[in-house]
Amino acid sequence: MSLTVALSKGKLLSGTQELFRGAGLPFPDGEGRRLVVPMGDLRFLFVKDWDVPTYVEYGVADCGIAGRDVVLESGSDVFEPLDLGFGGCRLVVAVPSGSPFSLGSASTVRVATKYPRVATEYFLGRGISVEAVRLAGSVEIAPGLGLADCIVDIVETGRTLEENGLDAVETVAESSARLVVNRASFHARRAEVQRLVQTLEGAVR
Amino acid sequence: MNGTHRLAQIPPGVQCFVGDEARRRRRIEETVLSVFEGWDYEEIIPPLFDYADVFTGETLSSKMYSFVGRDGSVLALRPDFTSLLAKIAAGRLRDRPAPIRLYYSGEVVRYEPPRAGRQSELFQMGLEHLGGEPRAADAEVLTIAAECLEELGAEGFVLSLGHVGVFTGLLAGSGIEGARLEGLRERVEAKDARGVRRALAEVDLAPEAKSALERLTTLAGGLEVLDQAAEAFACCPAAAAAVAELRAVAVAVSVAGLGSRLAVDLGEVRGLDYYTGLVFRAFVPGLGFEVGGGGRYDTLLARFGRPLPAVGFMLGLDRVALLLARHKDEPAPSAAVAEPVTGADLGSALAEARTKRAAGTRVRFGNGGGR
Repeated sequence: MSLTVALSKGKLLSGTQELFRGAGLPFPDGEGRRLVVPMGDLRFLFVKDWDVPTYVEYGVADCGIAGRDVVLESGSDVFEPLDLGFGGCRLVVAVPSGSPFSLGSASTVRVATKYPRVATEYFLGRGISVEAVRLAGSVEIAPGLGLADCIVDIVETGRTLEENGLDAVETVAESSARLVVNRASFHARRAEVQRLVQTLEGAVR
Repeated sequence: MNGTHRLAQIPPGVQCFVGDEARRRRRIEETVLSVFEGWDYEEIIPPLFDYADVFTGETLSSKMYSFVGRDGSVLALRPDFTSLLAKIAAGRLRDRPAPIRLYYSGEVVRYEPPRAGRQSELFQMGLEHLGGEPRAADAEVLTIAAECLEELGAEGFVLSLGHVGVFTGLLAGSGIEGARLEGLRERVEAKDARGVRRALAEVDLAPEAKSALERLTTLAGGLEVLDQAAEAFACCPAAAAAVAELRAVAVAVSVAGLGSRLAVDLGEVRGLDYYTGLVFRAFVPGLGFEVGGGGRYDTLLARFGRPLPAVGFMLGLDRVALLLARHKDEPAPSAAVAEPVTGADLGSALAEARTKRAAGTRVRFGNGGGR
């Protein structure tokens, strides 16, 4: 049986494709609507980026490629043996530029985010009471409209924040693409998993 | 959320098993318990609840269903059997000479959101080996675990071994604790070498120990890992001693013919707080999470006043059932076909049914009903 690898067609796709090609591994062309693509020794699953850790945690996929931000938010119990070096970004707390609001002064901070779990844990860990408002996107507009005091979101270049009048004030976590591996597959299919990890590791360096 | 609604709705985390599924679970339980009996372990049926203090450790206490008893004492539904068995062995069985071999089978309850084959109600079958020579006991328990999985037909199973003393040995004298220790442990557990390096950046520890800790993320594989580990831990006698202990056990189990079933994972550093030595988990291809595991806990019994080293292991019946249900060529066992017994005269029909029952026939009395 071939190893199953869960991938997303989201923002990590081009980096993933480059990595696999560089490692001399087969990779689907990307066109078409097939979501399960067997190729060589591997079987690829194309799923939503937020679902990659779930497929891997349940062992439906043996391995997957997911952003550390997504792995953190999912709370999935998976191995993360390789930092793949692409898809780099930071999860930050951003507040409206020039506003008198400060994290320490509010009795409860209301934060708009796609990462309610990470955000809640971060604020509680700092001893700050928090109310996370979960949004699916366009998080940056929430403070300006009065939905939240601040946001927790990923930042690559900082342009989006700037254009929406926000300043990153604290870094919650660094993120990049990770190879994630199911815990049981790691042991029960050790030879194949190790071969894939080593091949990819060689291409990252 | 009115009362009527509640009568149909079930609370999250509980399960109900009907017919063939229940039969499958009973059969799994019979298989495993007959292996336990075969190694001369004795069954113990502990109470469903006890004082909350009996169940120690942060991992468990945050998940306990505890309540206040009529006399004001804090009680908890058992989240775990090991603490209960330790208490019984130290108390009621205190005059019994060690080693004591005990097994149990039953439900524990833990507050856990249903996830990855885990419910709030878990059915565990396990054993505890209390006292005796530690290496021999470790090897015995691993061998029994392997026999259970063989008898269950869990093809391709692997027992992945680790040792708590490796991680604690490497950190000795570092003074790292609390959230920083948890952060480090979590990165080691994830096999994230870069993350480990980052977590260690500000820890006061010899560079050799730091690089050995980073190596934990890759010290996983076959038994050859133990050789690599012995080299990597040359700087740290405590960690090297733990590896030597693990090797003695692994060699014995290999000689017994189970070498191909063993794996080593020195990055497995989590688990219940009471483990002190060998730790292991059982994995089977086709199931994304472990079916069981165990380890050595040499300090737990002292809490109850009878210091004895101990080792134990358990299999999760829910996960074994999930695994076997996935083997499509192995349908759930079904019942024999019943012979219907009917008649106009109730008394003579019952008499006929009794005659058939005496001959061992499965009967269905009266008409109707489905399955």
